[in-house]
Amino acid sequence: MQYLISVIDDRTNSGTEEEMAAIDVFNEKLQKQGYWVFAGGLAAPSSATVIDNRNDAAVFTDGPFVESKEHIAGLWIWEAPDLDVALKLATEGSKACNRKLEVRPFH
Amino acid sequence: MFHYDDPPEPTGAIDDDRLRLIFTCCHPALAMETRVALTLRMVGGLSMPEIARAFLVQETAMGQRITRAKSKIKAARIPYRVPAAEDLPGRVSGVLAVLFLIFNEGYLATGPDTDPVRHDLTAEAIRLTRLIRALLPDDGETAGLLALMLLTEARRTARVSPGGELVTLAEQDRGAWDPTLIAEGHRLVRERLAARVAPGRYQILAAINAVHTSARDVRDTDWSQVVALYDQLGRIDPSPIVTLNRAVAVAELDGPDVALAAVDRVAPRLADYHAFHATRADLLRRLGRSQESRAAYDKAIELAGNTAETAYLTRRRDQLG
Repeated sequence: MQYLISVIDDRTNSGTEEEMAAIDVFNEKLQKQGYWVFAGGLAAPSSATVIDNRNDAAVFTDGPFVESKEHIAGLWIWEAPDLDVALKLATEGSKACNRKLEVRPFH
Repeated sequence: MFHYDDPPEPTGAIDDDRLRLIFTCCHPALAMETRVALTLRMVGGLSMPEIARAFLVQETAMGQRITRAKSKIKAARIPYRVPAAEDLPGRVSGVLAVLFLIFNEGYLATGPDTDPVRHDLTAEAIRLTRLIRALLPDDGETAGLLALMLLTEARRTARVSPGGELVTLAEQDRGAWDPTLIAEGHRLVRERLAARVAPGRYQILAAINAVHTSARDVRDTDWSQVVALYDQLGRIDPSPIVTLNRAVAVAELDGPDVALAAVDRVAPRLADYHAFHATRADLLRRLGRSQESRAAYDKAIELAGNTAETAYLTRRRDQLG
């Protein structure tokens, strides 16, 4: 079972050195224990472009698809047997990166 | 594999299965109201209309809530198992909260066409709490909640008159209380006292009920002990409702004027709580302030959802001079 873990932030480029170090330690653990599938940090939402080619011509829009106070600053994909395991990891991960996390299952 | 759409087994269901089911239904990734509804449906076997009525929501809304919860359990793979020993204490407190809500809904059923006491709900809550206790015999709060339920259930038949009116603790026929349930409840409270571990909320509430059920006559009630226990409760779980209930005991010790002053201090936070107005009405009546008492009874009647309570409050109001 795979889960998408979104890192929720209300600032951009806000990671401190301590947080980065803690995330590295956490990532190593994820890899060693076989949960790690993918991880990545994202640039600021203002750097996003929305593309809509559902009609005749592609329309590009500058900025994220939804403007909100909080945004997704990064993500993980984990392989975990069930939600309890994913929530336990997320509890640890939230502490490591000092941010809220959203856990959402893939189909 | 377990199918969530299967109806609960009517009889002979294995307790281990029930426990697994309880922990799934009371999973912390589900909203509290969803946990309660799901537990009643999947573990208690209540019908959707029954649950909807118990919580005063539309049947369709309740149906959607349960369907959504089942989808989430499946899609997010909420496990169907009793948590590991290390996770159990944290998860059990969530289960106890759900069972307490179910018990309370049974004990003070709401709704104009509802029986004042839903014995099916109180009995189910007690049965499920016993299951949790069998799993965790040393857990203080589980023992406390079971004791609290037993000591409350013991007074069930004395609490509503044949005419369907609430009978207050002071006016109940104590001979009609169930001595077996009281003995078991008292045994549990003594067991927790002997454990010499700082008690949690349910254990203190159970102890308060033990004081009440130890008095053969209301005049023998050890009110100072009741006040001391509410003080202890207020330290770990400060809430205006604790202040309100403490004031009822204070009225017996120090008089209704002292109690009323305490009650009025929490007025802004309990303005929509029927028991606040009912308590105020009674204190004002005892102080001879009939007009204010009548207004408080009116407000309590307006807010009370339990038919027996409404009948009692109405009679009391109409007896005012």
